[in-house]
This record gives sequence, C-alpha cells and structure tokens, in this order.
Amino acid sequence: MPKYMFIYRGGQEKLKFASPEQIQQVMQMWIDWIDDGVEAGWILDAGDGLKPGGAIVNMDLTVTKDELSTESGSLISGYSMIEVPDLIMAIELAKDSPMPNSGGTVEIRELTHNGKQYE
Amino acid sequence: MKQSTNQLVEHFFRHESANLIAVLTRAFGMRRIDLIEDMVQVAILEAMHAWKQRGVPENPAAWVHHVAKNRILDSIRREKTYEKAIALSGLSRSDQSITAQESMVDQWLEKEELPDSLLRMIFVCCHPSLERKTQIALTLKTLCGFGISEISRGLLLPSETVKKRIQRAKHSLATANVRLELPSDDQLTQRLDVVHDVLYLMFNEGYSTSHGTEPIRDEICEEAVRLCHLLCESPYSSPSTKALLALQLFHAARLDARTDENGAVILLEDQDREKWNRCLIGTAQSWLANSKTDQPTRFHFEAAIAMQHCISPNVEATDWNSIVNFYSRLIQLRDSPVYELNQAIAMGQAGDTGEAFSQLQNLRDSDDMKHYFLLDCAFARIHELEGNTKAAIDSYLTALSKTVVPHEKTLLEKKLRKLADSG
Repeated sequence: MPKYMFIYRGGQEKLKFASPEQIQQVMQMWIDWIDDGVEAGWILDAGDGLKPGGAIVNMDLTVTKDELSTESGSLISGYSMIEVPDLIMAIELAKDSPMPNSGGTVEIRELTHNGKQYE
Repeated sequence: MKQSTNQLVEHFFRHESANLIAVLTRAFGMRRIDLIEDMVQVAILEAMHAWKQRGVPENPAAWVHHVAKNRILDSIRREKTYEKAIALSGLSRSDQSITAQESMVDQWLEKEELPDSLLRMIFVCCHPSLERKTQIALTLKTLCGFGISEISRGLLLPSETVKKRIQRAKHSLATANVRLELPSDDQLTQRLDVVHDVLYLMFNEGYSTSHGTEPIRDEICEEAVRLCHLLCESPYSSPSTKALLALQLFHAARLDARTDENGAVILLEDQDREKWNRCLIGTAQSWLANSKTDQPTRFHFEAAIAMQHCISPNVEATDWNSIVNFYSRLIQLRDSPVYELNQAIAMGQAGDTGEAFSQLQNLRDSDDMKHYFLLDCAFARIHELEGNTKAAIDSYLTALSKTVVPHEKTLLEKKLRKLADSG
C-alpha cells in the first residue's frame, strides 16, 4: 500500500492568544485523531512536532536564523507517516485532522521506495 | 487501544497556568506579572506541540513547570545583565541571586507547598484597592486560568471591558509592587471578609438564574467552590469560610436539576429532586456542622436555609417555619429587601398567608422593590397558595409588564399557562 507523509504547516498564530482551556481542547483533538488513526491502522507513525526557530543555510552559504516561526505561517510544525490505498483517501483523512481547523495546512506527499511506489 | 490514561484531566492547563502564575509572581514580584503570564502561555503552547503526537508525559505538571520556570529565569537573567550594565555605569542596584530564587520556585511548586502561593494570590486578587467586579475578573484570570473571552462570556461583559479592567488592576498592583503576602493577624478578618464576598459573588455570577445556562457559568461555580475549599483547608479560614463553602455546595448539588434539556430554568418547586447530588449535599452538611460559631454570619443562615430545601423530599414537607426564622436572623444581620421578599414567601408556604401579604405590601410601599418583577411574582405565589388563581394570574401579568430578560419572560409565560390550565 502507498505510504504518505503528512507535513503540518502553520496554525501557530491562532493559538498565541488562546486561553489555556482552548489550547487543551486543540491538543485533545490531536490526541483523539491520532488515537483513532493508530487504532484503525492507517497511521504508521504519529511522527513528532518540530520546534519553532532553527536555521536555514542559503545557497550563498549565508545563514538565516532564529525567529522564523513568528513571521512565517508556513513553518513546518510537525509530521506523521500514513499508509492508505490512494491519495484521495489521504486527502479525506487530512481534512479530518485538527490542522485546517486551527488555521494551518497539511501537505501530503507520497513516499517512494527505491524510486517506486510502496507495494 | 485508546490512550485514555494518557489524556489530561479536565482543565489541566488552566489550573497549571494558575499555579505557575501564583508561584512565579510570588518569587519575582507583581511588577513582572505580564512577563510571567506570557512565559506561562509559551510553556503551555510548547507542551501542546510536544504532546499532541507523542502523548502526554508521565508527569505533565513537572514538564510545564520546568519549561515555564526556565523561560522566566532566562528572561530575568537578561534583565539582570542589563541591570549590571547600569550598575557599572555608576547607578547602584542590589543584585539578588537568581539561584536562590530558582530554588525557592522549585520548592514552592511542590504539591504540598502550592496552596500557600495560591492563597497569597487570592488575597492579592481581592485587594481592597480594587473594585468588586475587577476583583472577580482578576481572580478568574489569575487564579482560575480563564481566558478573556471566557470571562466576558461568564460575566456577561464585553471583552474589551474585561480586558481593560484586568489590565488596569494588574497595572495598579504592579505599580504599588504589592507583595504576595498573607495578611497579618490584625488584618486577617477584614481581608477575609473581602475574599468571602468575592467568592460569594463569583459563585452567584455563575449560578444566577437570570442569564440562562452556559457551560462556562457552571465552571465559574466550580472554581468558586475550589478556591473556597482551598481556603477552608488552610489555617486562614474562619467559621464563616466553612459556612460559605457549605452554602456553595448546597447550591452546587442542585445545579443539574435547575435546567431542562433546552437550557431553560426550572424553579425549585418543579425540580426533580432525584437529580440532586446527595453526595454534595452530605459534604455540605458536614462543612456546615464544622462551621459552628457563637457569631454566625449571613453565610451560616443562608446555608441553613439552603440545607432545609436540600433535605426535604418535596416543597410541602419543607420546614418553612425554620426558614422563616433563619430569614429573621438574616434581616437582623443585614437589612435587605430581597431577604424580606423571600421571608414573605416562606411565611406563605408555612401557612401564614396574611402575614406574608402584609410583608409584601410593606415592600411595595417602599421604593426598593416597587419596580421589581419578583415582587409581583411573590404576590402571585401567595395568591396561588391561597387558591386564588385569578389574582395569581393578574400578578404574573403585572410582573410580565415590567423589565424582564427573555428567559425570565419564558418562565413567567410557562407559569401563566400552567395556572390558566389548572383554573
């Protein structure tokens, strides 16, 4: 079966001014969604979050550092590994994730195995 | 398998945020409260990102504490560096050791030490220099970890108003650099009175029947009970604190029975008493027993009245004579037309409708209650008890002609329909 990577971007801004209660609700939504996926078997690896900030090495070897997060809504905040029959299914599952609801996006990319699709 | 064990208890972040704000403010001062709140927010967001995919760690509280503490210490270290630069330039500044403060914070965050910081924070939020409504808003924000939007929904105030009130309060406490201290013995009674009033009003804000229901309002009640309980378990409580807790618990026991599935209010006489929480009633009774004193306060009598309702199988079997007496004691303590109104109804229920009418008539002659629709409702109730349906209907119609909020209107109309059907 094909494997996909869900790449989560953005969704930080909306939470910045959220109350502790709202933050907890969002986290609970994630935990429930991931639990369901693991239980149903289509989540291979829930993945992990990525810390904001960090650094980018540019083409000219200059380095862009620090608060990348605060400005760019496109910052990758985490990833997960998925296994489903096709892209359409993966899209449906991503729609159910808490990401769109919290103001972020999910990028879906198929993984290759030696250049070929996973059997 | 669902990782239900991994899920957090309800309101975890909210309460941890309150704990952290209390401890960090105690260590680093009221003047840094804005910075502290920001750092606590960052720590909670960080926890969310770290936990959402991998699950909650074994000791989530310690995790959040650790992050928040380090964030604030980093920030203060930078501040100290700046201060040192100022000192070198010739201005003197005492340099407190951050290491000492850090170990204090660690100690105060220990489970058994936490209540002390929270109690100090209660006394700061209920500072006598602040207005009552501001005290409530600040308590909800700082000690209960509510967000501005939740507070404004709970207190039925515009968000901007709540925000401004809280900002001004924090600013004035920060400028005065109010310390997180427990009041000294000679001040304790006075300060405790203010705290009692705030917790009483906070509970009422959540409980008040005049606004319909919203989950947030039940939560305000829960928080008032939690703080009152915290105070009762401390050496700073008085018999009055315990009576207040009993009163809140008697009311809380009836919360689930007071609204129907559409959120409409059900009056005491129509409530399904099977739905009352026996366990809470029992707890309330033991706190009331525990509150005995030679100088009972209004909380004692109000709790005693609430108890009479709670332990009675129905309206008719209620000990209305005792309730009338408790209201007399209350009126001796503080003159209040609301007490007199309620007393009149209890008199009627006890069978003395004549006395009830004359008390209600006195209230109608005074200015306080004249325009208040509940006075007409009380008249209606007594007419009803006398079996005079027509007069009861007339009184309810008068009540309807006065200023009432939509949900009270619904309630009155329901009453009227019921009467019309029976008559």
